[in-house]
Amino acid sequence: MYEVPRLAIEIASAILYFILVRYMIKPYGLTREERYLGLPLGFGFLGVAETILAIGIILPIHGIGTVSVVMRTFAFVFLAFTYYFSKKPSKNSRFAWIIILSSIIVGLTTWILSLVSAPLMTIGITTSFGIFLRILALVCLSYICIHTLRSHIKSLDPTTIWIPLGFILLAISQYSQLIRAADENYLYGVAFVGGLAARLIGLAVFLYVAYRTFYRATKRGGINEADRP
Amino acid sequence: MKQIARRDKLKIYGDLLSILNEETSKDKVVLTRVQVRLNVPFDRLKTYITQLSGLGLIDDENSLKLTEKGKQYIKEYENVLDFMKRMGIAYQ
Repeated sequence: MYEVPRLAIEIASAILYFILVRYMIKPYGLTREERYLGLPLGFGFLGVAETILAIGIILPIHGIGTVSVVMRTFAFVFLAFTYYFSKKPSKNSRFAWIIILSSIIVGLTTWILSLVSAPLMTIGITTSFGIFLRILALVCLSYICIHTLRSHIKSLDPTTIWIPLGFILLAISQYSQLIRAADENYLYGVAFVGGLAARLIGLAVFLYVAYRTFYRATKRGGINEADRP
Repeated sequence: MKQIARRDKLKIYGDLLSILNEETSKDKVVLTRVQVRLNVPFDRLKTYITQLSGLGLIDDENSLKLTEKGKQYIKEYENVLDFMKRMGIAYQ
């Protein structure tokens, strides 16, 4: 009953994640500092995870959902580490960040390869390990929410409240996924679709912030330039 | 005593272009005022100006001003910094 709205939300989420990658790469493009690479990588992996999940809804391939869960968790780990290292002075933390970044990429590749080449492993993963992965993703999201809220409180700028709100909505969606994985009797219902919708709204918030920053500012600049004698 | 964070070259270039952008709207760009606002020694300010001029971001032939490329760069620079601030990641 809920497969069609679920598929639509997964496809829309994947598209939004890929659009957001375009904006998330800009901090790295300007500074060329590796510590900002986690943003585009995180959102990119989330987009790939949603794409895989959408494929899994259309074509019921065994274990495809697990690949998506692993990828999504790694994406949130990327984002959490990016936020953690963003506070550190770049020269001191550069080496540590490069080691962590390489470890996460090696870990993710190993997991995906082992899941694809040895499908038997997926049987063990789908139960308790699946719950662990979702809890890990939720912990990472909680850290990001706290980090962004603290930076909002520090600056007390009304424009900085939107991003914590977006991450809180993603955390609500992730919590819904966790309940679904933990409860075997959980049926697709309004709560589950509501969780997916929360994610979609969260992504729309991110997109709104990116639009406000880059396009409204350009338009404003354009008007000022035109007004000049 | 308040500790001032070290700025990398990109941040100094960005700050210098922002200051020049603001100063050019006034009558005349006074280098000493730019130096005080940027908080760097005068000889280093001259080096930065030469480097930015070499990159085609500022024009220092008659009076100091931003080129079109410099204006575009500073707009993009300020947008990205604003985006990073909104995302909750500070650029230090």
